[in-house]
Amino acid sequence: MKLTTAPEPDGRIGAMLSVEGLTVTFPALGSRVIDDINFTIEKGKTIGLVGESGSGKSMTSLAIMGLLPEGAAVEGSVSYWGEQLLGNPDSAMRRLRGDRIAMIFQDPLSSLNPYFTVGFQIAEAYRTHRGGSRRQARGVAVEAMRQVRIPDAERRVDHYPHQFSGGMRQRVMIAMALVCQPDLIIADEPTTALDVTVQAQILTLMSDLQDSTGAGMLFITHDLAVVSDVADSIVVMQRGKTVEQGTAEAIFSWPESDYTRALLAATPRLDDIVDLPEPLRGTR
Amino acid sequence: MTLLPYLSKRFLASVITLLAVIFLTFAVFFWLTPDPAANICGQTCTPDQIHAIREQLGLNQPFLKQFWAFLAGIFAGRAYGAGATAVQCSAPCIGFSFQSGTNVLTTIISRLPVTISLAAGAAVLWLLVGISGGMISAVKKGTWWDRGAMMVSLGGISLPNYFVALVLQYLLVVKLKLLPFPTLVPFSENPSGWFKAYLMPWIVLALMYAATYARLIRANMLDTMGENFMRTARAKGLAPAPILFRHALRPSLTPVVSLFGVEFATLLGGALITETVFGLSGVGKLAYDAIQSNDQPVIMGVTLVAAFAVIIANLLVDLAYSVLDPRVRVASR
Amino acid sequence: MSFDDHTPLLRVQNLVKEFKQSARKQFRAVDDVGFDLSQRETLGVVGESGSGKSTTARMVARLIDPTSGSIEFQGEDVTTRTGAALRHFRGNVQVVFQDPYSSLNPRHTVEQIISAPLRYQGRKVSGGYRKAVKEAMDRVGLNPDHSARHPMQFSGGQAQRIGIARALAVEPKLVICDEAVSALDVSVQAQVLDLLRDLQREHDFSYIFVAHDLAVVRQIAHKVAVMSAGRLVEQGPRDAIFDNPQHEYTRTLLSAVPRINPEWESARKSRDEGNLTASSGN
Repeated sequence: MKLTTAPEPDGRIGAMLSVEGLTVTFPALGSRVIDDINFTIEKGKTIGLVGESGSGKSMTSLAIMGLLPEGAAVEGSVSYWGEQLLGNPDSAMRRLRGDRIAMIFQDPLSSLNPYFTVGFQIAEAYRTHRGGSRRQARGVAVEAMRQVRIPDAERRVDHYPHQFSGGMRQRVMIAMALVCQPDLIIADEPTTALDVTVQAQILTLMSDLQDSTGAGMLFITHDLAVVSDVADSIVVMQRGKTVEQGTAEAIFSWPESDYTRALLAATPRLDDIVDLPEPLRGTR
Repeated sequence: MTLLPYLSKRFLASVITLLAVIFLTFAVFFWLTPDPAANICGQTCTPDQIHAIREQLGLNQPFLKQFWAFLAGIFAGRAYGAGATAVQCSAPCIGFSFQSGTNVLTTIISRLPVTISLAAGAAVLWLLVGISGGMISAVKKGTWWDRGAMMVSLGGISLPNYFVALVLQYLLVVKLKLLPFPTLVPFSENPSGWFKAYLMPWIVLALMYAATYARLIRANMLDTMGENFMRTARAKGLAPAPILFRHALRPSLTPVVSLFGVEFATLLGGALITETVFGLSGVGKLAYDAIQSNDQPVIMGVTLVAAFAVIIANLLVDLAYSVLDPRVRVASR
Repeated sequence: MSFDDHTPLLRVQNLVKEFKQSARKQFRAVDDVGFDLSQRETLGVVGESGSGKSTTARMVARLIDPTSGSIEFQGEDVTTRTGAALRHFRGNVQVVFQDPYSSLNPRHTVEQIISAPLRYQGRKVSGGYRKAVKEAMDRVGLNPDHSARHPMQFSGGQAQRIGIARALAVEPKLVICDEAVSALDVSVQAQVLDLLRDLQREHDFSYIFVAHDLAVVRQIAHKVAVMSAGRLVEQGPRDAIFDNPQHEYTRTLLSAVPRINPEWESARKSRDEGNLTASSGN
């Protein structure tokens, strides 16, 4: 069953996603969670958004999707193929979400509704934007599960989220995000909750899928090693501000800011040799 | 398949519970109530007559023999007394009312339609009002609607229902003359009359339950709406309606369904106060009258029927839970 | 302490933990695990989810009772100890958990949290508990004036330090760290690892460091035990495990760890060195 492709918008002006001067505050709390963030995402490319907790990286993704919590005041510009997203009414944003811009979240167990089958939830994303009968959508869901390399998809499409392992559940989330063939995928810490071997598989999968669909990706993570592998360009954030940004090679090979250097120094390496206290009563 | 052994265990437990309830009920009535024979006999009674009645009812037997006779009667029917004056009580026999001269079970069954009509109608009303009220409160949390609804529901729970019944009757029948005084007519004869007769009792009964359900639904939905999968639903571009009615309501309903099952079954044992206030001859009114006239077999019979209904409902509710919640229904990886 | 030079501080042998899965099936969470640990030594226990590493560590702490096997502490069998003897053992073995906000009682003050083990152990402290608490806070880098605050008022790294202070208040011989730094930001993580190493150096603590992050384990462990599906697939000295893994699973695990592009790393290092020599030349 072929996935129908959404028609490309014609008369494209500018980049696929362009974020300029994005600033998000919560006036009631007097806090500024994002302060003047700027970056551009092209199709086929990946921007890595790196920061520790409180850096505002997750908020950035919510701002783009129009999913900020109540009480948020947004300034700046977020344009998708030239169309301004900020200030868009929810009814207009709903058409883009899941269809042109899709999100993958960190914890697949809590991010999927335990009362519905995975097939239903994947098909739901498809039917919301493309319509079609239930049978058609089910076929689409099975195909999407095959695409993300879930074995025995025809049978497992009727299983519930708790019947899958962590890695398989994340594949379901990826399938759900890709089912309408979006231009942009926002992945918020997609592998943080997974085992390291599973993480490697999922990252490979995401890279392959990005190649085959040509989608652009915003990859949010705190893990420098992961982002070095995944991103073409990197934006380093600290407490809402951009500390440094550039190509991945530039950030890692000649980091300019002290904060980036501190992060790099603090990141444990697999081949570090660390001076440890000498054990007593001698061991091997 | 782990479901079958689980259910058979529950079934067995239900049977044991039922037996225990029968025993307990019998024991309580055996020890705590005054001599039923004297009651049946009346004011002008000689000790000989009382003794004769006691013989007939088997009241001179030891406790366990009486209990066994009672239990056996439930399955095989029994006869009170012997010879020509023997009274037959066909299976299942849960007692014979000598005051009214009728088989207790037959009497109860004749009163059930009224009780069921009352319970079912109230149930529909309270589910509709409670669930929609709770949902609206949850969605509009913190607004005047929410606060107002929760205050009204608090009133509904705390006001005694005989009070509400009387006030409602006074308002609607006497003052505003909107409804006639409730007189019971069978549905088949006069549907509109039937409906008018039940309307106030339905409202009175539903008010108390609707309040509880509204609060429960509100709490469950607020919990559910904070879950991560709600965020996923929004990120998929779903419209507010499917997000609310599909993703938020479904998880919130499950605990409510199980509560409903048991509460509805409890009502089948008779809504005593409501029926009495409105003069409906249901099982509740039957029990009330029996208590007034100390007609023991009837009181005991109603107790048993009510307990039976709740035990069955409990079993069904457990079954329902295993169907409703996929995490219970299918073992996880 | 009168055990000879060849008795390790901790000796675990053939440790097994089974959980009842259903009426007939048992589930082996830990299957025949054994290792030694000396004083002032850290054993890193690594593995993925379901490997049994946390269960093993908790058995050593006697938070979970083993199904079979033996745990010898300072030459004595503590596997089935109960009552006062168990309490005595607990005074020697403490645990630091992953999430301080849920493992420390949020309604207690820092003072209550840190002094609790002292009270339960019935230790007499010269200068009183308050002094001991302030000393412990000082040792882990917390401001002693904050002893009346509650865990929620601290940042993640600081809250974890409260947990560490509580663990070392009774001056245990062995501290079990169950994913103790996994929930921390990377910069804070590095500081807490520094702290743990310093404390080991000063107080001769031994650690069992359970973690899923291999790179972190390399920062603190002298020896490493690799677990998978309840079994110990490989164990050995740190460098041997990381640089020359024998078991296929260990190799798979190590190869899956994401690495920063080594070309970029060396480019950065040489520029830094170049800058250093350039500036020192001025």
